[in-house]
Amino acid sequence: MIVGDLLVALLLAAADPAVIEKGKAEEKRSCLPCHGLRIIHGQRLPRPTWERELDKMVRWGAVIKEREALLEYLVENFGHDKLTPPLPLSEDARKK
Amino acid sequence: MQLPPVPISRRRWLALAGVSPSVLKAAQTVPEKPLLFTGKRPMLVHNDYPEDLESPPEYFDTWITPNDAFFVRQHLPRPRVSADSYRLEIGGMVTRKVVLTLDDLKKMPRHRVPATLECAGNGRSYYRPKLPGLQWTKGAIGNAEWAGPRLKDVLEKAGVPQAAAFADFDGADTGVGQTPDFVRSIPMRKIVDEATIVALEMNGEPLPDLHGYPARLIVPGWDGASWVKWLSRITLSDKPDGGFYMNPAYRMPKHPVAPGTAAQPEDLEILEGMAVKSFFTRPADRDKVPAGGAILGGVAWAGEHRVLRVDLSTDGGSRWQPAEMGREDYRFSWRTWRFAWKPSRPGFHILCCRAADSAGRTQPIEPAWNPSGYLWNGIERIGLTVEGS
Repeated sequence: MIVGDLLVALLLAAADPAVIEKGKAEEKRSCLPCHGLRIIHGQRLPRPTWERELDKMVRWGAVIKEREALLEYLVENFGHDKLTPPLPLSEDARKK
Repeated sequence: MQLPPVPISRRRWLALAGVSPSVLKAAQTVPEKPLLFTGKRPMLVHNDYPEDLESPPEYFDTWITPNDAFFVRQHLPRPRVSADSYRLEIGGMVTRKVVLTLDDLKKMPRHRVPATLECAGNGRSYYRPKLPGLQWTKGAIGNAEWAGPRLKDVLEKAGVPQAAAFADFDGADTGVGQTPDFVRSIPMRKIVDEATIVALEMNGEPLPDLHGYPARLIVPGWDGASWVKWLSRITLSDKPDGGFYMNPAYRMPKHPVAPGTAAQPEDLEILEGMAVKSFFTRPADRDKVPAGGAILGGVAWAGEHRVLRVDLSTDGGSRWQPAEMGREDYRFSWRTWRFAWKPSRPGFHILCCRAADSAGRTQPIEPAWNPSGYLWNGIERIGLTVEGS
């Protein structure tokens, strides 16, 4: 019963827009100092793989303060079951 | 085992109903800065900082890939290196340490090497289960003519003792925070290959900044990671570098593992030569073709080996016919191929291409899944609709 309640609580937490928003802000704060966000947004990964990616980034110097919110945001938006939009094309930057 | 999925085209994706609102919401989180990359045509953007840019397949309509169409892969932010300040230090197990300037390199005998460069992870997006890393489709590959002194001649300036078995190559780029520096090692048998050069030119021009100005390593037939850009230090050693980009990165399981499972570290070996593969460059997947037919075109390459043939199927892989091979046939470079297709009926057709090489390798339906998603070389399928006559 307790396990069931816990699961429900977890599911509710995952769908909480406030948590997702907090995760989105944390992504900007903790990832952007080193690299653009597109490399994250192009991937579609299950939760355990996102967890391992966060572990790797922490080893490489990322300072993540809101880890749970960031993880929920990644799974909610870039989980392995989400569609992948087409890649954007850059503008023509040839020398004229 | 399933065939690799037919890629969903941009048009078809947009037409799909039921796009998850969360995906659209996520797309809106990307800052709307103009995507401009000096000297490049419109490229498929995997990342803007550092730059990871894929070539759309229609850019591969010539044997040489122009510099403005060539893919870009950066692990670390791009350094700015000037011709005046450039130095190449050679040390470690050498007879004498030397520091070379760009002029020193330019004065050495210059060799021209046409060679295909492909990222080890090209095609990673086709693996299932999905893998972390850049989700390349077909275009992390290109063929250029590189020019510069031979690596073995450069190393001779420092003297190479018998005991030196590897050289470690470091570029002027450095890791952010505690990100590991990008250092790659190459064994002596590849160092002494006459086609292994320190390139100062790409397709007759000085190397563009994005491609490693003023000097990068050319390691023909090997994964792009070996082709170190902004080359600034070479260290001779009796063993390969132990950093992240030699271990665990750029390693393959000696024997395939079940999809989605890990490989034991001792079962991984350093990735060297690339796989045999081919793909269509025209028409594009889901294009319409006139009833009279169309010229199908593509490229094929085989790492350190030679492409012997490309076969085409216009019926989803039941029957195969040889394609006509392009006249350029050089070790280490891709070959173009074409096939004049006269469709027997209107409607939808599935077409496949399959290359075979001088090492006896033929493309598989699907390559073995591996934990880093390297060396995708599954037989490509495209769908074409022949219009009614």
